[in-house]
Amino acid sequence: MKKLFTLIVLFSHVVSAQTTFPVNGPQNILLNYYALTNATIFIDYQTKIEKATLIIKDGKIEGVGVGISIPKEAKIIDIKGRFIYPAFIDLYTNYGVSLNSDRKNNNGFQQFISNKNGAYNWNESIRPEADAAILFTADESKAKIFREAGFGAVVTGLQDGICRGTSALVFTASGKEHELIVKEKVTSGFSFNKGSSTQDYPSSLMGSIALLRQTYYDAKWYKTQNKEKNISLELFSQLQTLRGIFAVNDKLGILRADKIAKEFGTQYIIKGVGDEYQRADEIKSTNLPLIIPINFPKAVDVDDPFDAANVSTADIKHWEMAPANAFALSKKQIEFAFTMSGCENANEFLKNLRKAVQYGLDERIALKALTATPAKFIKVENEMGALKKGMLSNFIVCSGNIFDKESMILETWSNGKKYFINENKELKTQGNYSLQLKGFENYILKIEGELSKPILSLIGKDTIKANLSEQFNMFNISFKPDKKSEGIIRINAWVEQKDTNTFPYQLKQLNGKATMIDGSTENFVAVYLDSIKSQPKKSDTTKAIILGEVVYPFTDFGWKNPPQTETVLFRNATVWSNENGGILKETDVAIQGGKIVAIGKNLKLNGAKEIDATGKHLTNGIIDEHSHIAITNGVNEGTQAVTSEVRIGDAVYSEDINIYRQLAGGVTSSQLLHGSANPIGGQSALVKLRWGLSPEKMKIEGADQFIKFALGENVKQSNWGDRATTRYPQTRMGVEQVMYDGFIRAKEYEQKLKIDATTRRDLELDALVEILNKKRFITCHSYVQSEINMLMHVADSMGFKVNTFTHILEGYKVADKMKKHGVNASTFADWWAYKYEVMEAIPYNAAIMNKVGLTVAINSDDAEMGRRLNQEAAKIIKYGNVSEEEAWKMVTLNPAKMLHLDSKLGSIKVGKDADLVLWTDNPLSIYAKPEYTYVDGICYYSLEKDKMLREEFRKERQRLIQKLISAKQNGEKVEKKISREDENYHCED
Amino acid sequence: MKTIQIKLFSICYTLFIALNLQAQQTMVIIQGGTIHLGNGKVIENGYLGFADGKIILCDSQITAMYKNAHIINATSKHIYPGIICMNTYVGLNEIDAVRATKDIEEVGGVNPNVRSLIAYNTDSKVTPTIKSNGITMVQVVPQGGLISGTSSIMKTEGWNWEDAVYKMDDGVHINWPELVSWRNEKMEDMKQRMDKEFNAISDFFEQAEQYNKIEKTEVVNVRLEAMRGLFVGTKKLYVHVNSAKGIISAIQFFKKYPTVKIVLVGAADSYKLKELIKENNIPVVLSNIHRLPQRANEDADQPYKTPFELMQAGITVAIGHAGSWESRNLLFNAGTGVAYGLSKEQALMCITQNPAKIMGIDKTCGTLETGKDATLIISSGDVLDMKSSVIEHVFIAGEELDLNNQQKELYKKFSKKYQIKE
Repeated sequence: MKKLFTLIVLFSHVVSAQTTFPVNGPQNILLNYYALTNATIFIDYQTKIEKATLIIKDGKIEGVGVGISIPKEAKIIDIKGRFIYPAFIDLYTNYGVSLNSDRKNNNGFQQFISNKNGAYNWNESIRPEADAAILFTADESKAKIFREAGFGAVVTGLQDGICRGTSALVFTASGKEHELIVKEKVTSGFSFNKGSSTQDYPSSLMGSIALLRQTYYDAKWYKTQNKEKNISLELFSQLQTLRGIFAVNDKLGILRADKIAKEFGTQYIIKGVGDEYQRADEIKSTNLPLIIPINFPKAVDVDDPFDAANVSTADIKHWEMAPANAFALSKKQIEFAFTMSGCENANEFLKNLRKAVQYGLDERIALKALTATPAKFIKVENEMGALKKGMLSNFIVCSGNIFDKESMILETWSNGKKYFINENKELKTQGNYSLQLKGFENYILKIEGELSKPILSLIGKDTIKANLSEQFNMFNISFKPDKKSEGIIRINAWVEQKDTNTFPYQLKQLNGKATMIDGSTENFVAVYLDSIKSQPKKSDTTKAIILGEVVYPFTDFGWKNPPQTETVLFRNATVWSNENGGILKETDVAIQGGKIVAIGKNLKLNGAKEIDATGKHLTNGIIDEHSHIAITNGVNEGTQAVTSEVRIGDAVYSEDINIYRQLAGGVTSSQLLHGSANPIGGQSALVKLRWGLSPEKMKIEGADQFIKFALGENVKQSNWGDRATTRYPQTRMGVEQVMYDGFIRAKEYEQKLKIDATTRRDLELDALVEILNKKRFITCHSYVQSEINMLMHVADSMGFKVNTFTHILEGYKVADKMKKHGVNASTFADWWAYKYEVMEAIPYNAAIMNKVGLTVAINSDDAEMGRRLNQEAAKIIKYGNVSEEEAWKMVTLNPAKMLHLDSKLGSIKVGKDADLVLWTDNPLSIYAKPEYTYVDGICYYSLEKDKMLREEFRKERQRLIQKLISAKQNGEKVEKKISREDENYHCED
Repeated sequence: MKTIQIKLFSICYTLFIALNLQAQQTMVIIQGGTIHLGNGKVIENGYLGFADGKIILCDSQITAMYKNAHIINATSKHIYPGIICMNTYVGLNEIDAVRATKDIEEVGGVNPNVRSLIAYNTDSKVTPTIKSNGITMVQVVPQGGLISGTSSIMKTEGWNWEDAVYKMDDGVHINWPELVSWRNEKMEDMKQRMDKEFNAISDFFEQAEQYNKIEKTEVVNVRLEAMRGLFVGTKKLYVHVNSAKGIISAIQFFKKYPTVKIVLVGAADSYKLKELIKENNIPVVLSNIHRLPQRANEDADQPYKTPFELMQAGITVAIGHAGSWESRNLLFNAGTGVAYGLSKEQALMCITQNPAKIMGIDKTCGTLETGKDATLIISSGDVLDMKSSVIEHVFIAGEELDLNNQQKELYKKFSKKYQIKE
């Protein structure tokens, strides 16, 4: 055995020797010339030829076809019955590539700039210098896994950071890196994740996006200057000549990446996560090609009903539908390649590949996604992905159609080298045999089971189970002749005859020697009689696959068919107009085409659905001036004092269940704000709660742009623990300076831009310039009077106005100054005592500010309170005696004014948006609840629809749970699971 | 000048209150209002009289003549029992973010011996804002760990904790181990932690039960000493638990200790186990029904309708409110219960009679019945609805409270500054 091992080592060493390498001993140059004959060959994903020959020489294809002449020098291998496919190509691997980093642990202390030595980018997660061709180290154990799954070459690159440098195309063959690297700088890599960077920035998705955008601009600027040497920026420019692969974290990430691509005139290939079917139409419209994994989610153990309740419907629906993802994409004609990424081994990969086909995917498209498509994406279609003359001899030999469950990959050829995957599997032993063995004359020898796992038994007057093992076509059989027997009969047998006309070869006769219990030997012969009729298994393909429907958004209470605009006549309502008429009794309101079209008595409107609103109250939808729902992966980019470059609009999350819950509370529009972790935060997104639509479609068209500022304890990091004491500012004095400095820099920047076109584009300052030019408006988180006063001074000195103070709990102390400045106030009704700076917060604040003449809103800052804002408004009646009408405006018209949306929203007036709520009672009463919530004339919530959706989802869950139970019974692996709750953010998070 | 005026005003006000308190040594009759008894009954246009801190009259008519009675005209007003807020840490916590002002959680997982009343700050700036919303009594609960400590029932008025305590050491609070998604733990880790916690509780209760059997132990263990009351019925065991399986396992576990009377607190999933809870005759204290559903697949209004669902099943339900300053919204939580099924009187029961029953103080308070404490509030409107809740008088055991607070003072001060109407 040791000898054999030595031989192999020597042999492989010689083979992998490179031209430039010295040779130890005589050269051992082998004849790399083969003709594989009688095969079924897929010369590409859609062209199959039978009884064909493939001729390969020195790693290249010399010829392929039917009846082609075979040169004498070629070694002929007859592989009758076997299938040859082009070897697969995986575009998304990190095979043999990693960072050898000795990174410092910051122990919770803040890190503002990169720890990396050298003239590289200020941010560790931008790594254009990571070059896979340099980082690549061949790793036989990993290469083997790829070969087992049929991959002959893979694109490998660093999977770490936001910019991940360049990848290389490498063979999965064994050998030295010198011959394995087919091509360097094949693609560039990007993601939204900062990876192993220990630096604080970016801490959020929107921060990642801002950093990447800024880097594009920096690289452009870098080319025009000579003050700074920056290797990263230099290389970043070079990346732009390559095709970028952008690894996203979910389906919505594709839409986010597309926005970046469009901004910079590029087109990424998206590495998705397998949930793309959930937003297939939006993804289709990006026109971006995809790389998709087929690591389907594990089934959930739902045997315990109470535990099962902790799994979200979205998770179990995805379990059911994930295998149909590729099929769904193919139906939309979205171009995609498959990756093995996420699959633990070849077995899982091939099993899931077949499953995808079983779920409807055309075999040709599946094959294309593994061969032609990836080859095309990286422009190696003349070398790989098909089997044509002159191409590389990367191919696989299978025992049959690779999509058949029984079929196996026998060999994978990479770089012209053959690797056995399933050795000696050409023999099919299954069948019934007549047995000749003393004492078992009338027995039949029966071999069942799968090709690779034969199970042997002797059937006569009773059935005897026997052990069977095999190596090098020699068999070892042993069994107890009967139950009482203490001894065992042991047989050595060999293949005497097989049928080579079929593949795999049917075993025809086994001969051998049996050693009986007493030690005597007898002859053993087994002669093939007939095949065993296999019984179809329960889980066979014959059973139709039934799937639930995709719902939008993909969570509970999502729509199968999103609701449409309605023409409605609300009859006989108490209408809270927020206009001069005040509260109108027994009034009709008509909506059509998403707008309010008529208000009056006894209205008529053709084709309108009539809603009897007698005794009910019709109001505008609530507008939450300060909301953090529907945001994903971080509400704060609190890692720097100024982050005006980040945009909540980049992280809007349309799948948040709180959107639906707030519709149920009568909310129709929200300002999604950045948190309050830094003095100058990020840009806001103004959205309508259009449940089911994509993030971009939730945004309010043509709305003015806003930005979050913040003051006080949060921005000073007062309550962040003892280690957060190094970031500037730590005092209110410093906060003022950050603001001043920011605007001074912005003014200088604006001047420079005017005179010098090569000025470095600064996304952070761009936003501040917009503020100075009244194109962007500030909503500032604020508590105590000193800081409120301060910001108004800063604004006055810079020549602009603060638009809104939000929270503004001590606004009552400086209401006169605020009035003079012309700022709006958006506050909490009764929050206080949660930190030192709110100790003099009073629930009378809103009333005082209102009476002084400010425009006052009541906001939520909280997903829970957001769905009861009508009640919060009512508290201002209790605390400060404002009228009901005034209180109601605080959650409707007044926030609309602050958000500059009052020309469209905030009152019931002909021509305004039909964002309406019909309440069962006075909307300010604790006893009121919304019966209908309309946005743009579309009913996104009603008590009736809610009831219907509850029933629909109850049934859907029940169906899925029963399916999960039977999956477990059928042997599918299951796991216990608690679904993650949606991210519920507040300012401080 | 302004400051002097304000000071003078304050002094006058204090004098007035002091005189008022003396006057109450004689009889007070509140007449003409709608009396909500707290037990589900309502007396329209009724008479409520009290003397020496006790209610001596509560009826729709007046039969005897009361000499020298101080009359409060409550025509078109509403009279309710003083509101009781369970499961708070009012008085233990002044400013959430400032550690120095917090006395809510002791070190170590098992602390039945720490007693909330010791740290109850009668001079807290928070308490007056709660009191002025009609809350006369709070159950003050230590937080954290497995066994957080022992609560007491405190009045929202008092010179010091001895003066403010209504029932000392009413119960021990335990945080039951359960699966929760917010911990972001791996499933296996979570299970291991739960096993560990469960074993710790199990061992501790075995110890405590045995300890209780021995009248005078050789060595005194203050933790075990604090558990005695549970086995002899002088303390309740408040089990803080939300998940269905947590509720089941807690109920099953405490069957081993039949003398231990348990109360479920939080109990978000209790609506799934109404029969079990009813059969075992266990009261439920729901905490903050103004909260989000536990899971995406739950009905959006599940937290709001749970009180109704439980009460319909015949379970004794109280609505409590976790936190400190937030507790002043307890009444509106009850109001939400009305929008989702309860009658107004049932909702009121959840914050008056039922808490009193659960905490074992219903013989003396929780409802407006003769013989009970004259602890009551008078409002010009419906107190469950913020839109109409204007609380004019609050009495605890016949003593009228000063409803002023710092927030009102600031309101006055700045209304004056801007010359606006309050």
